[in-house]
Amino acid sequence: MEDNGNNIKVNDSVIEYSGFTFLLIDALDSLNVDKVQFNNAVIVDGKDPDFIRQIVRRIRSNNSPDIYLKPIFILKGINIIDPFVNKLVDGTIFSLEQIEFIVPTVEKILTKVSDLKFTNSISFEAQMIEKTINFMYTCDVYDLEPVPYVYAGINYSYPILSVNFRQSEEYIVLDILDIAEREGIFESEYFDRIYLCSNCSNGHLTYREVCPKCGSSNSTTEDIVHHFPCGYVGPISDFKNEIDDQLDCPKCNKRLRHIGVDYDKPSILHECKGCAHKFQDYNVKAKCLSCLTDNGVEMLKGREIRKYKLTKKGELAAINGFVSTSKDIEEIIGTVKFDTFKTMLKYEIERLRQTEGSSNICAIHISNPSQVYSKIGSEVQKGLLKDLVRVIRSNIRSSDVITFQSSSTIVLSMNEIPNRIAKRILEEIIVMLKRLMSTAFKNMEVDFETNVMSLDYKLSPELHIQQLTKDFK
Amino acid sequence: MIDEIIDNYIRFLGSLTVEHFIRLFWFFIFFEFIRYFMIEFVVLNLWKLSKWLNRSEYDKARQEFLFENPLISIIIPGKNEGKHIYKLINSLKEQTYANVQVIVIDDGSDDDTPTIGRDLERAGLIDLFIRNEIRGGKASAANFGLRFTKGKYIIHMDADCSYDRDAIEKIIIPFYLDKMVGGVGGNVMVRNYDESLVTSLQAIEYYDTISIGRSVTSYLGIYRIISGAFGAFRADVLEQMKGWDIGPGLDGDITVKVRKLGYKIKFEQDAVCLTSVPNTFKKLTKQRLRWDKSLIRFRVRKHKDVLFPNQAFKFSNFISFVENITYNLILNFKWYFYLIDMVINYPSLIANILITNFLLYTITNFLKFVIYSLYRTRSNAPYSHFLIYIPGMVLYFGYYLRIVRTIAYLQEFFFKLSYKDPWNPEKTSVHAKRLKL
Repeated sequence: MEDNGNNIKVNDSVIEYSGFTFLLIDALDSLNVDKVQFNNAVIVDGKDPDFIRQIVRRIRSNNSPDIYLKPIFILKGINIIDPFVNKLVDGTIFSLEQIEFIVPTVEKILTKVSDLKFTNSISFEAQMIEKTINFMYTCDVYDLEPVPYVYAGINYSYPILSVNFRQSEEYIVLDILDIAEREGIFESEYFDRIYLCSNCSNGHLTYREVCPKCGSSNSTTEDIVHHFPCGYVGPISDFKNEIDDQLDCPKCNKRLRHIGVDYDKPSILHECKGCAHKFQDYNVKAKCLSCLTDNGVEMLKGREIRKYKLTKKGELAAINGFVSTSKDIEEIIGTVKFDTFKTMLKYEIERLRQTEGSSNICAIHISNPSQVYSKIGSEVQKGLLKDLVRVIRSNIRSSDVITFQSSSTIVLSMNEIPNRIAKRILEEIIVMLKRLMSTAFKNMEVDFETNVMSLDYKLSPELHIQQLTKDFK
Repeated sequence: MIDEIIDNYIRFLGSLTVEHFIRLFWFFIFFEFIRYFMIEFVVLNLWKLSKWLNRSEYDKARQEFLFENPLISIIIPGKNEGKHIYKLINSLKEQTYANVQVIVIDDGSDDDTPTIGRDLERAGLIDLFIRNEIRGGKASAANFGLRFTKGKYIIHMDADCSYDRDAIEKIIIPFYLDKMVGGVGGNVMVRNYDESLVTSLQAIEYYDTISIGRSVTSYLGIYRIISGAFGAFRADVLEQMKGWDIGPGLDGDITVKVRKLGYKIKFEQDAVCLTSVPNTFKKLTKQRLRWDKSLIRFRVRKHKDVLFPNQAFKFSNFISFVENITYNLILNFKWYFYLIDMVINYPSLIANILITNFLLYTITNFLKFVIYSLYRTRSNAPYSHFLIYIPGMVLYFGYYLRIVRTIAYLQEFFFKLSYKDPWNPEKTSVHAKRLKL
């Protein structure tokens, strides 16, 4: 152990100061990522930008919140110009004596980390969204801005999200952000537009003008000359003679004197050196530097690059855990999309306006989803939801429909039956669900809440659903 | 009043002797009736007979053509014609003869023609779209297109036309009937014949002057204009001439140039092209003033050497020019002479003379329309549609077109206005005027 006199204790690459431990990393092979979780923060002794980038990438791309959420600082203050790294670190110090200046930051981040509930998300997309919003919440960053980045597979990087992907897969980031926006986690505004290879979705493309016939980029270009007196039109080589530099018309043998007066150059002509094809308009091709596919520009995949802002819903999702996307639960067989359900509900309400029937909607809500989902893996979660749907489906008529309002709330219709019967069916479903849960997940307590309401033709579909679910925890 | 005129007219007819009739209507009898009815009728029969006698040669020529299956290049020059091109390309896709190379040349369009042309090229509906950013005139556009042709025969088309399914096949066969044929003109009919009075009148005019008139002149070897809307040329002949000279009137000009090289020019009635004609008298007047000026510019000025004995003198070319100049130029002015003759010598009979002329021309027009329908291979409209317009042809053909023609000739004679026609860019017209082209 070493004490440098400023209450800073250094022991086997771990620095203790003010009750916090800092893992000091000064060589790539000295990084055992597992060590990060046992310390409060990381200090990277920056030797060169590549080294720093690799260390930061390893930590931030880890899947464990105990690792990827750890504050990272750069020591020795070399000028970090890499925008990707800049967005992933929490600060810079010029010597270990300055460690006191970063303590408040560490304290703040760790406090915010302690606010978070970590759930096991159903899908990969949900995991990535959760990871991103967790990081943003702990760092007090509410804007997710694209950074033009030469090493990024799509030429732009959203560092905290992109860090999880290999360069060749970075385009997935855009899909994930689209999903997150649809879920209301982010709101966005237009930033730029990019074009990606139609084969591998890479953005590293080289644009070339090529022969429309054979695709070769090896060609020559000549001016087209129009001789006014006789109307002859041809490439300038037709007019060149072998004796001097003058131009003579091959049709009427007159000498060309003055551009604009007796001749002009109305266009140009290209000749391919590969296939001798003559043409006026090149084809523009974009060769992918990753997979070498020669794309016609009209075949490129155009994508929008947007600036994102974390919404209040996104902030709450970070705190409470983000389990699934709508896409995940839409994939469960036996259910309809929530929007479709609302449309069907609207028609049922309209029908009731004209007839004297009695129809109901019911909701089943898992009141402790974080506990449930954090204990089981994503595949099991999907299995659980499928089982819930299967049990419900076997107790209702085939004309009734089921939908997920969220991963913890199931809404279903029970048409053309009295309210009391609907309540009784729902009670039976809950009994069966509890039995299923106790059989499948022995050590797990699942709490259900339910509600049933008769349809009232004076209320809108949205109001029905709002009233149905308003008392759920 | 009307009864009085009718009584007066009947008395006039009753008093007419043969000598008197000839004296009063000499212009109609000796020029119009003999040239445009009798001679035409005789020649049409000879032409039909010769077609029938040569039918096996025709079949042989057709077989030879189809067996050889030569590449035929189609060039379509134009400015701001994008909106018409799809219709044209559709009719080309339907052709019975498929070995064609289609080239569209955009002469500095300032509308969406470049976009349409490139779309067609990308979609493979045409083989090549080329463009001059700066307008150079129709001749320069055609010449530019010519440079990219690879076919043995070149067909010049106008973008606002469409073609019968067998039009390409039919227009090429004459080249195989006679190896000295250098160019063949197609038959042009009016697509928008029912759009207005003026288009109906033009449709009748086209039936008469193109379908019938050109069949006659072609048979006589004096056919003189291959229409720009549909004309085929041997590629080697066009190469010798290095393409078209500047217009307006470049289609008539190139026909003379082909003739001067010693090649024959033929008209093929069965190769049908439909075109849209001007739908108002104002537009028609503008078009005809341009067309008619070219008679003076090309026949009387640029190619006047055809009329004089020289090394390249050919009798058929001489006759073609003489016939053209006589019937279009001299007789046009002679008609005024006839009118003055009547006004001076028979002032009291002028109303009766005009009525009789009107009746004579109308009866002849009816007869021609009905009888000549037997000599037209097809019509693109029911004949009954035109019958009510036939009386109007006297005014249209005899007065309106004659006056327009007179104005055009005078404008060109005295002011050389064709060189100022905006149809052709001024930058080229100034040279044409200076070089007397």
